[in-house]
Amino acid sequence: MMGAGGQPIIVLSQGTKRESGHHVQIGNITACKTIADVIRTSLGPRAMLKMLMDPMGGIVMTNDGNAILREITVKHPAAKSMIDIARTQDEETGDGTTSVIVLAGEVMSQAQQFLEQKIHPTIIIQAYRAALEEAIKLAEEKYSRAIDVNNDEEIKTVVRSCLGTKMISKWMDLAVDIALNAVKTIRVDKGGVNEIDIKRYCRIEKIPGGTIEDCKVIKGVILNKDVVHAKMRRRIENPRVALLDCNLEYKKGESQTSLEIVREEDISKILEQEEIVIRKQCDEIIALKPDLVFTEKGVSDLAQHFLLKAGITVLRRLKKTDNNRLARVCGARIVNDTCDLREEDIGTAAELFEITKIGDEYYTYVTSSKTTACTVCLRGPSKDVINEVERNLQDALHVVRNVMLNPRLVPGGGALEMALAHALVEKGKSIEGVRQFPYKAVARSLEVIPRTLVQNCGGSTIRQLTALRAKHAQSADNWTWGIDGCSGKIVDMKELGIWDPLSVRIQVLKTAVETSVMLLRIDDIVSGTKKSSGGDGPVKEMPM
Amino acid sequence: LIQMATGAESILALTGRRTTGQSIRSQNVTAAVAIANIVKSSLGPVGLDKMLVDDVGDVIITNDGATILKQLEVEHPAAKVLVELAQLQDEEVGDGTTSVVIVAAELLKLGDELIKNKLHPTTVINGYRLACKEAVKYLQENLSFPVEELGRQSLINAAKTSMSSKIIGPDMDFFSEMVVEATELVKVTDSATGKITYPIKAINVLKAHGKSARESMLIKGYALNCTVACQGMPLQIKDAKIACLDFSLQKAKMHLGISVVVDDPVKLEAIRREEFDIVKRRIEKILAAGANVILTSGGIDDLCLKMFTEAGAMGVRRCKKADLKRIAKATGATLTCSLANLEGEETFDATQLGHADEIVQQRISDDELIIIRGTKARTASSIILRGANDTMLDEMERSVHDSLCVVRRVLESGRLVAGGGAVEAALNVYLEAFATTLSSREQLAVAEFAQALLVIPKTLSANAARDSTDLVAKLRAFHHKAQQNSKLSHLKWAGLDLESGEVRDNKEAGIFEPAMSKVKSIKFATEAAITILRIDDLIKLDKEEPRGGDQCGA
Repeated sequence: MMGAGGQPIIVLSQGTKRESGHHVQIGNITACKTIADVIRTSLGPRAMLKMLMDPMGGIVMTNDGNAILREITVKHPAAKSMIDIARTQDEETGDGTTSVIVLAGEVMSQAQQFLEQKIHPTIIIQAYRAALEEAIKLAEEKYSRAIDVNNDEEIKTVVRSCLGTKMISKWMDLAVDIALNAVKTIRVDKGGVNEIDIKRYCRIEKIPGGTIEDCKVIKGVILNKDVVHAKMRRRIENPRVALLDCNLEYKKGESQTSLEIVREEDISKILEQEEIVIRKQCDEIIALKPDLVFTEKGVSDLAQHFLLKAGITVLRRLKKTDNNRLARVCGARIVNDTCDLREEDIGTAAELFEITKIGDEYYTYVTSSKTTACTVCLRGPSKDVINEVERNLQDALHVVRNVMLNPRLVPGGGALEMALAHALVEKGKSIEGVRQFPYKAVARSLEVIPRTLVQNCGGSTIRQLTALRAKHAQSADNWTWGIDGCSGKIVDMKELGIWDPLSVRIQVLKTAVETSVMLLRIDDIVSGTKKSSGGDGPVKEMPM
Repeated sequence: LIQMATGAESILALTGRRTTGQSIRSQNVTAAVAIANIVKSSLGPVGLDKMLVDDVGDVIITNDGATILKQLEVEHPAAKVLVELAQLQDEEVGDGTTSVVIVAAELLKLGDELIKNKLHPTTVINGYRLACKEAVKYLQENLSFPVEELGRQSLINAAKTSMSSKIIGPDMDFFSEMVVEATELVKVTDSATGKITYPIKAINVLKAHGKSARESMLIKGYALNCTVACQGMPLQIKDAKIACLDFSLQKAKMHLGISVVVDDPVKLEAIRREEFDIVKRRIEKILAAGANVILTSGGIDDLCLKMFTEAGAMGVRRCKKADLKRIAKATGATLTCSLANLEGEETFDATQLGHADEIVQQRISDDELIIIRGTKARTASSIILRGANDTMLDEMERSVHDSLCVVRRVLESGRLVAGGGAVEAALNVYLEAFATTLSSREQLAVAEFAQALLVIPKTLSANAARDSTDLVAKLRAFHHKAQQNSKLSHLKWAGLDLESGEVRDNKEAGIFEPAMSKVKSIKFATEAAITILRIDDLIKLDKEEPRGGDQCGA
């Protein structure tokens, strides 16, 4: 900035870079398109995996949109926002992360033409929002069908279509059974509301070795632990279980205490005392006659000895989350201090405790047929494969959960998107003014899903897409027609049995459109601003 | 090149640079205008957002003038005054931060022109003061109207006006309803004076990503972003008795550096036990008082959890202290810092408990929240925002906060003005007429003040890609008629319709702003402009260590 007299006037600090206007808008759009292009090939059943290498040399192999983008470091701020939405999608629904990015990229790039024609972004935004609302309404009312959550077959179809795009698709039936079983196990009916907490109660234990066919759902808990003393029992039926989260060893207090010993006999007294304390702890446990004791902390040799003599099996150093799951399996209450142990804290619901050796390591199984916590035991030839199987299974679990919570389905294979696109184009004709064009653009961008499906399986994009468009235009009853992602042909999804949960697809639409709305509103990028020191939110001290 | 500095250098004891007179004034004005130009394009319903990227790459997307300027690293001292001005407006009013900066910069620009024409700065300052006073008076008397005239709808409209420029603009019907309701829920009547206040700070705005903006919700109760301490605890408690604690329920521990020396080994074990027992006794006392929900700002040791679980009580650890204070207020609880009473005994009295109908832990997106419903002492409200990602949520939070401020101002001050440049145009017409009644030099300054106000309608129409000259001329014509002819006084509500690019009755259209916000922004802008215009000398001392190539490039 030049002031009067040619002296430069420094207003902003010199490290600040500022871009504004049209340039920024186009830049944002390009960034979004680039991100979308990265994972475009991971959509659909003919999806390819990406191999990502992090700076540490670790490898991730996946076709999960979120997992891919998480590993990429991007510089452009708009691209960062795009990556964020994959995460949001993952957290909210667990599936559809690739679709959301592909769609958002397309919605953004459709806006470019309007910006070039000098249509004000706010007008584009209004049209986008209107289109989104209409699309959601249509999807909920017209293009979806309800299913019975108790009908396993129907749910299996949905899971199958979700897994169809994943690596695990070769072991489809197995994976579907696992996902369904796991979710059904952890479903708890709480006052008419189904609670399905996958994060807490469904653990995925990965054990390298064996084949993928060996994967299974264990109703109960698997721990990668062995008993503390080799002579303890390794198999107990109907065990009485005590869960502790305290040490069974002598520990000093929290305050700094120091003991000054002057007399010789005191030293033996101290040792004796330690022994007495442990003895007392063990006696308190033994008094309740449990068969099994789990603790989150350590167990001293002395305590092991006492407990072994009482015929009690002990496992130590559990994770808190594992302990919580155990509590749910065996009905015990976690006790912190042995002197607080009561009869009602002992869990009796577990049916079998068993330790088996898999490969090189010992695994503890605590199972019960009535439990509401489960563990999915994954086997596979290598760690990377298991990791990818885990990601696939997570998606499948979420899909089952979503369907159980919101039992409405939409046709997959791009059929929903095509149906919506068709309906929106029709509706767009009745809209007055400039808004009509961006409104229709949303419809056009929805077609990116079927188009990418065709592309990924090497079909003829234009021929198939026009055929599909024609099919939808012929009659409103053809709303289930979409692309068969394997062959690239147009098929009726009813026959192919590809159905997605409504909640996932709607979330895809919402997130994609809302993100583009946010990014389109930007006309200025200032970089190199100061690091926001703490609360950058607007909530400041207000005079009350 | 102008070098004001050289002559003075020898007189100053320290090495430095001195700029005086017109040169510094122009510099200041240029800097101020530069700042205003940055935020200019975010004004109005068709204004756009800024994306701010900081040095580590974190992104903020915002439309809020104060936030933009706060994030910028402004170096020029005069520009800093404007940044502070926006901050002030944000704190005092909460909205209108962009417009105040733009008006101040315009006042400076026009003032500088006058000074260049050899008008003394003090004359300009006096003129501005006078004009500001007149403008505020006229605004309050003629251009504002009470809320009662239009009722609740006017609140909603005021909230909508503030939102229209923000990211939540397309959903303003939905959000305005929410904001107004949230504000009404936190109404507090001071029993002593009967004064009604709306402490919007008590509205807890939480963010959870996922779903869409439309699925944001208002919770009639207090939402707390915490979870119960362990899974054995009940997730729902009806008729809750709440204890708010501001200390940790952890094993008693001596302060650092204190060590206990014992010589009897038996005592060692006794100390260890006592550490346990101190906290256990405390919990027993709290539970004995009937508490079934314990909220603490500190931690809860695992060893204490069982006591709560057995009593069927809910324990929540690491609540924010600000949250606890508000919950204490809403439920009638006392935020307890220590159980010790005056005699040094540890007691917990049932009167310290707060009451609520229901406390429940709810799952939202991937997170869980604790929601307190039906608080007894006061009603509370919380807003949970949903959106595509964090950047968007942050901006939504800022927008909702601005609207809350606006609604509160409207409710508290009870007067509204029409928006969309209506007030500015009316004041412009009025002040110009007023200027002609003055026979002193101030006349010029008052006239320039009037001209400066027009920057708001001008910027609004420019942002909407309309012909600003044409529109503003039309607008002024309407206001002139309204002020000349008492029969046409309804025309004084005329403002801009930026969608269609026409002039319309903005009172009818429901574009409202709180009168107080307008008054404050005129006053603040004038004050800031005066502060900068008064400067005629800038002395910039060099840094201790001499550095070559100073940016002043002389």
